[in-house]
Amino acid sequence: MALEKERLKGLYRDMYLIRNFEDVIKEYAANGTIPGFVHLSTGQEACQAGVVRALRTTDYKYPDHRGHGAILLCGTDPKYVMAEIFGKATGVNGGRGGSMHVHDWACHNHGFNGIQGSTVVTALGTAFAAKYRHTDDVSAVFMGDGTLGEGTCHESMNMAATWKLPVIYCLINNGYAISTPCSVAHPQKELRQWADGYGVPSWRVDGNDVEAVVETMEQAVGIARSGGGPSLIEFVTYRWQGHFAGDPASYRPEEELEYWKKRDPVLLARNVLKQREGVPEEELKAIEGDVNAQIQDMLRFSLESPVPDVSEASTHVYEGFPVEVER
Amino acid sequence: MSRKLTYTKAINEAMIQEMERDDSVFVLGEDVAKMGGDFGLTQNIYHRWPDRIFDTALSESAIVGLANGAAIAGLRPIAEIMFADFAGVAFDQIVNSTAKLNFMFQGEANCPVVIRAPQGAGIRCAYHHSAVVESWFLNTPGLVIASPATPYEAKGLLISAIRSDDPVLFLEHKMLLNVKGDVPEEPYALPLGKGVVEREGTDVTIIALQITVGMALKAAAELEKDGISAEVLNLRTIKPYDEQLIAESVAKTSRLVIAQEGPKVGGWAAEISAMIGEKYFEYLSAPIGRVTCLDIPVSFAPVLEDYYMLSPADIVRAVKAAVAF
Repeated sequence: MALEKERLKGLYRDMYLIRNFEDVIKEYAANGTIPGFVHLSTGQEACQAGVVRALRTTDYKYPDHRGHGAILLCGTDPKYVMAEIFGKATGVNGGRGGSMHVHDWACHNHGFNGIQGSTVVTALGTAFAAKYRHTDDVSAVFMGDGTLGEGTCHESMNMAATWKLPVIYCLINNGYAISTPCSVAHPQKELRQWADGYGVPSWRVDGNDVEAVVETMEQAVGIARSGGGPSLIEFVTYRWQGHFAGDPASYRPEEELEYWKKRDPVLLARNVLKQREGVPEEELKAIEGDVNAQIQDMLRFSLESPVPDVSEASTHVYEGFPVEVER
Repeated sequence: MSRKLTYTKAINEAMIQEMERDDSVFVLGEDVAKMGGDFGLTQNIYHRWPDRIFDTALSESAIVGLANGAAIAGLRPIAEIMFADFAGVAFDQIVNSTAKLNFMFQGEANCPVVIRAPQGAGIRCAYHHSAVVESWFLNTPGLVIASPATPYEAKGLLISAIRSDDPVLFLEHKMLLNVKGDVPEEPYALPLGKGVVEREGTDVTIIALQITVGMALKAAAELEKDGISAEVLNLRTIKPYDEQLIAESVAKTSRLVIAQEGPKVGGWAAEISAMIGEKYFEYLSAPIGRVTCLDIPVSFAPVLEDYYMLSPADIVRAVKAAVAF
């Protein structure tokens, strides 16, 4: 299915932003400016953008550990997202969370978890609350092929299916759980088959085709919003980087990466815009120039922002009790 | 007006009164709705509010996970874990999400979850249905852990737990479920984080929690016959615990014995001992005594289970050793 031109342009802008944002993160993780480790979503831009853009602000969104892309689009000003990844006071979580925990209540971005399978059950709760309060908000939870090994996935889908909760399982199958190929850890030929045992509708789609991602997501959202319960979408894609920035990923064949780079989701969308929709090169360049300038602003903001004050480390541990901070 | 109620009924009444007051309160767990709970703690709710109490699959992670998500979305879930031992199945959810969501969302969203779980030894059900779990969770900032000793405390602390914007692990003792006591009919809230002096004394402080409160009082009565005046503190909440109450009592008595159900190593009694040793060493005129269960799993055969458990006689012995030091 073809998306309307203006919408596709917006999605291209989103994906271009993710790609170039991640490149900056990669550079500043490599040079040691960003503490800890980061998981880059380079190569998975279409699933990140397509999923979020099929949702509305009040829907509950659960980006996972490889979720910078989705997080950028949930509604937070992206400079606060970048500053969080840099561990700065101006970050959306004041530097408490970092790359794996960039979440923002205001736009229902619940990307707060670094533990595989954990938010897969949290999503049940926001879906339950929507149903309990008779709203039609849905909960979309990102998971990877590796996540499926966690028992919580079974508990979650079993309960969501039984109670017809509006949960959408967005399974990003990028082929590897760190170094372990999907086929080594899971028996299903297609991971979407996992949903069959629960009578949950599922799709397997090209995760690098943003139009297919949006179209399928919209079907799933439609089911969930209208009380039809959960569904699962397996997005077949690939991560260009290793598990974390700096991981040489020597566990996978080079030709595999080459194959997937030829299926670059950002370039695919660009080509569609240019060839099918007749968008002139100058217009695409203008979008890209805009985004690049925006990223430079974010970077400047993140670099110039102060580190958090240590007093911030002990606030909101409890709402009703003080925390002792003397050593 | 006060009546005699069982600990079970007191807990049940707290939930019902809070559900009357606040429609964001709901209950979920295994066999809680139609059956009214494995121990009958959630009776008489389903027929009144069939849309606010839910039987779940045997999925402790999903029960707690659902509660977490519903809480940050503005509801006040009461999640029952049928036996506290099964909290182990949901350990990740409790320590990594329930306990940390307030911190993560920095006050923009709260996680007012109550996780209720019957705990404790004494029912002859061996090592998977007999644990006390305060100490499993003590090292997790963000959690409140309440362990009521009486029906009065059970109702008042549960009401506070439900109203609290902090997540509360509310542990009920299986051997207390049928114990009766005075319970006011109207709703009332007892403060979390505060203990009480159960019995005043001058020679030694005995710190107790839940099942050991009764044991400590028995021991104190026994000690009185020998001319030893024991002060018994009931902590009610072990996280956070009432340091001021403990320090003031030890300042007065100069001797401390801690009566804790559960294995000794890494138990909450160790935390209290360390805190007193570190901050109030000068108050002490004798080594701190810890009276606990043995560092072994709970066995099935009554004689074996009783061997594991502590008793009032053990407390008496520890107090006498402290006084004789």
